[in-house]
Amino acid sequence: MKSMSMTNLGVKCRTDGQEAMENLTDSFDNSTYDDYGYDEYELKEPCEMSNNHRLELVVGPYIHSIICILGFIGNSLVIITYAFYKRAKSMTDVYLLNVAIADLLFVLALPLIIYNEEYSWVMGTAACKLLHGVYSMNLYSGMLLLACISTDRYIAIVQARRSFRLRSLLYSRVICFFVWVFALGVSIPTFVYYEVFTSNNTAWRVKILVPSTQIAVGFFLPLLIMVFCYTSVIITLMRAKNFQRHKAVRVVLAVVAVFIACHLPYNITLLYEAVNMFNQQECGMVDIQQVAKTVTKTIAYLHCCLNPVLYAFIGVKFRNHFRKIVQDLWVTSEIYVSTRRSVDGSSDNGSSFTM
Amino acid sequence: MVLIRTAVLALMLLTIGLFASHTSAVSECCRSYTRGIIPCNAIKGYSVQTVKELCHINAIIFYTKKGRAACTNPALGWVMTCVDRLRNKAQMVHNRTSQA
Repeated sequence: MKSMSMTNLGVKCRTDGQEAMENLTDSFDNSTYDDYGYDEYELKEPCEMSNNHRLELVVGPYIHSIICILGFIGNSLVIITYAFYKRAKSMTDVYLLNVAIADLLFVLALPLIIYNEEYSWVMGTAACKLLHGVYSMNLYSGMLLLACISTDRYIAIVQARRSFRLRSLLYSRVICFFVWVFALGVSIPTFVYYEVFTSNNTAWRVKILVPSTQIAVGFFLPLLIMVFCYTSVIITLMRAKNFQRHKAVRVVLAVVAVFIACHLPYNITLLYEAVNMFNQQECGMVDIQQVAKTVTKTIAYLHCCLNPVLYAFIGVKFRNHFRKIVQDLWVTSEIYVSTRRSVDGSSDNGSSFTM
Repeated sequence: MVLIRTAVLALMLLTIGLFASHTSAVSECCRSYTRGIIPCNAIKGYSVQTVKELCHINAIIFYTKKGRAACTNPALGWVMTCVDRLRNKAQMVHNRTSQA
């Protein structure tokens, strides 16, 4: 998303009227040199990055829209479940709901950002800053909430004795509030600087600061917390004599493996790019780097469609609620099709929601 | 529930529409400098790339009379000499046009 990535700061928010190019051409100079005494082939031209462009033509319209749609459906289902079928009762519920909200906002901001980048920010500079800010905020809150879920499971399983005191609804709401505030705080550079920089020094600093924060706070911090918590969880589970434990261990391993598989490649390319950003590079290398970034970024985006499956729908209770939603949708559509009249959406199974 | 299905459908169409119009309009950037010197009389015009925008290095891009673009280092003397010549040329055109 993005040449959409958060590291491409600068020109992003500019609208059409702001071309800063100083272009001079002289059409009246009739000098007739044929040989200018230099080899045309030694020139370093601006990089076209044609491979990356070709790749983006496929990834942009097809793969990103599939990710957005799947992410939208999955995360809305989680939110609908909590809204109409299952009140958030435990700490985990609160976290799962917040992760779904963060992921949903993320997939909603994504198409708008891509659309605006195509048409030089028709929605204006404010929309540009807002959308990129929302994108960045949800990236951070999403990742940090996954870390919160891992600590919650750690407390529930490893520190079971303290868990009644520590895992209250109030605590989890307070923690979620702080996670969102923190995510907003880390996104402030994006809100402020997603435009043309005022000086070279701010440009250099922010161009390094934003990807470094993303790598440190948006990847390594949650990764460290998750690895610590889930390792302890697995060790405790292995000691327990419970038939369910193998399934639990597999779930934990899947959660960590998917997290690493989705985000490690993207963060490595971000790191590589940040390290080499201000060095001179050959166009071929830059192109390969951009291709790697487009591919790994797409894999990272995929994570927001996998979260509902990995965290919510893997639970038996949640799956039952989910089955009920599908049934209700199905019943409603049956009535709708057979009678060709509008229906208020309530079904006869006693559930008390109306849409 | 009908509402939800309509919403999903609408979003699907919107997303596909938005992404389908995606054609790359990413600007090109200089990532390295031309070694050696280009004679000023081989240069037709120039543009400026700054680190303050999308690109990551400062550069002067010269457009040669043979229709090529050359990224050059603004820290070098000859680059600014050629830029000055182009500026003077523009000033001359200005003077001539405003007198006439």
